[in-house]
Amino acid sequence: MLKCGMSGSQVKVFGKAIQALSRVSDELWLDPSEKGLALRSVNSSRSAYGCILFSPVFFQHYQWSASVKINDKDTTFNLNCKLGMKSILPIFRCPNSLERNVEKCKIFTRSEKCKVVIQFFCRYGIKRTHNICFQESQPLQVIFEKNMCSNTLMIQPRLLAEAVVLFTSNQEEVTLAVTPLNFCLKSSSEESMDLTNSVYSEMFVGPDEFDYFQIGVDTEITFCFKELKGMLTFSEATHAPISIHFDFPGKPLALSIDDMLLEANFILATLADEPSRASSPQSLCLSQKQKRSDVMQSNSKADEKVTSQALECLSRKAAPKRLYPEETSTNISVAANHGSPVMKRTAGDISKVPESGVSDTEEVFRSPYLRKFSCMFFGAVSSDQQEHFNHSLDSLTRASDSDEDMNNGSFSTF
Amino acid sequence: MKFRAKISSKGFIEVFIQLSGTVAKLAKVCVLRVCPDKLCFSSAGSTPVRADRLWCEVGRGALFRQFHMEGVSEELNEIYLELTSEHLFRAVKNARNAASLKLQLTKKRRPCLTVAVELASCTGHTRVVVHDLPVRVLPRILWKDCLKPRVRACDVSVYLPALKTLKSIVEKMANMGDYMLVEANRNGQMNLSIETDTVSIKSYFKNLGNPPESTLATPQNRDQERMVQVWVDKRKLLQFFEGQQINPTMAVCNILSNTLLHLVLVHEDVSIQYSIPAS
Repeated sequence: MLKCGMSGSQVKVFGKAIQALSRVSDELWLDPSEKGLALRSVNSSRSAYGCILFSPVFFQHYQWSASVKINDKDTTFNLNCKLGMKSILPIFRCPNSLERNVEKCKIFTRSEKCKVVIQFFCRYGIKRTHNICFQESQPLQVIFEKNMCSNTLMIQPRLLAEAVVLFTSNQEEVTLAVTPLNFCLKSSSEESMDLTNSVYSEMFVGPDEFDYFQIGVDTEITFCFKELKGMLTFSEATHAPISIHFDFPGKPLALSIDDMLLEANFILATLADEPSRASSPQSLCLSQKQKRSDVMQSNSKADEKVTSQALECLSRKAAPKRLYPEETSTNISVAANHGSPVMKRTAGDISKVPESGVSDTEEVFRSPYLRKFSCMFFGAVSSDQQEHFNHSLDSLTRASDSDEDMNNGSFSTF
Repeated sequence: MKFRAKISSKGFIEVFIQLSGTVAKLAKVCVLRVCPDKLCFSSAGSTPVRADRLWCEVGRGALFRQFHMEGVSEELNEIYLELTSEHLFRAVKNARNAASLKLQLTKKRRPCLTVAVELASCTGHTRVVVHDLPVRVLPRILWKDCLKPRVRACDVSVYLPALKTLKSIVEKMANMGDYMLVEANRNGQMNLSIETDTVSIKSYFKNLGNPPESTLATPQNRDQERMVQVWVDKRKLLQFFEGQQINPTMAVCNILSNTLLHLVLVHEDVSIQYSIPAS
């Protein structure tokens, strides 16, 4: 059960968050918890993920209680609320005018009717109420260790916006090339090679323009442009600097904003230009597993909420294709790392993700290079594991104080 | 073949941006003709007689601080490049606050017109953005199709009113009907009208003045009051006025009765001519 209230200026930021996520996907998860209200969105090809978490102090008031069902044992439920962008985006259509006209906004849920109610208390005593039906669906989350990336940049959003404006809108992909002395944003060379009539653009930004510039490894990564723009428009509303975390081609890129009141993360898949290796998803999963266990024991200022023990590795086989979300998904295989029963249950839940093989109808892009897309790690918040989940969260938050809590719940499977 | 030009003044960069915007609106594919003393932008290739034609000229001294070119050969010291106008506009449109704008003919896997914009970023640093626009170098055999259109004799010539006013009136009127009637006389009067089944709107402009008669061919009819008319496609007229932000030093409208509307804008050493045939 969620109940929260916002002022006019907070509604503006909330609306902008929804607009930014609408660039990622047509669907939005509303995921409230003790940590705050998270808005999550994943695009259809699973190559982009956005999550904006509003902490309880962002709101004028924030109340969240996991509903308790009286059974033979008390189980707690997540909200599991998925909304269509078409329903929610028009409600927050003009965030600037909302700020002017809305005095107060209340959002609460009616789980028994599967409805989210948004009420605007506007000037002149006008009250607007929107009832939106939601679909029951577990939110997906991406597990990504930002702090483990060898390259980290922090830049003011205005600067990045200046850069982004220079790229033509029909360029889907951009390449980011960094060395310790240099930062270059340029049109994806793959695109400009194929189409003889496309413009190639590049822009250099000196390291001293960044608030923080740490390059561990020279690298060139290519990612989809659309989601970057979505993130930028949101960051301009928050006035906080954007951090960019990335590594080698193939590994996802994270864009994040960390403010006192909210935390936004956009994880984008990047193009890998190694020839495909069937083993690599596994090896990446395994390496993540080690990092995961580090996360468990470390201070819970974990950038991504580690929700369940069941970490799935969604990888695409080496069908050369573009990052465009409109394309049908390729062979997404769910590789289970652990044999625990808990894992398998979640594996079943994740099966919602289409596991179609490479179909004939799918457009396969012919390229001289074999391209493989990076792995995105998803953990589902499954209601079956809610019990374990809540305990594990507690243990995470207290991990820095005492280590013995780690033995609670089912974490021992790690 | 070589070409290198640089604009260093903010005002001139604005003019260039506006010019490329106009070209992008009126000619999807344009021909850039580089001459020792000027640059010319025109509608591509051989256009049929009944099509609208654009011709822009930018004198070398007008905008460019640096200008250097070497044509195909000593005798034919010119370069003809065909490019997509929208590419050029997109490359320059954000250069409003640039410190400099450089154009250069380069070869990077294929011939390109490289546009380099030097921006001063908000932190005080300069940043260079480079765009490589794909171009096609036109062979000599096609040059004759891209020459300056001959100035045809017209029946009346009148100065245009303030472009801003004209633009807003044309925009509002263009919501109705497809064709606009443009008429003018030698008494400095010009009318614009548009008509549908249910409504007709007419705008009257007076005291516009006419250019000296010696520039025109000798007209047969000397009646000052007689309105010379031409019907044109309103979209073309609208597109012409849409991009114009900077007030020209001279704006003239020439009408050849029921045949042609010829608009000329001159801003110092930059001129834009657009001919719309009657529809």
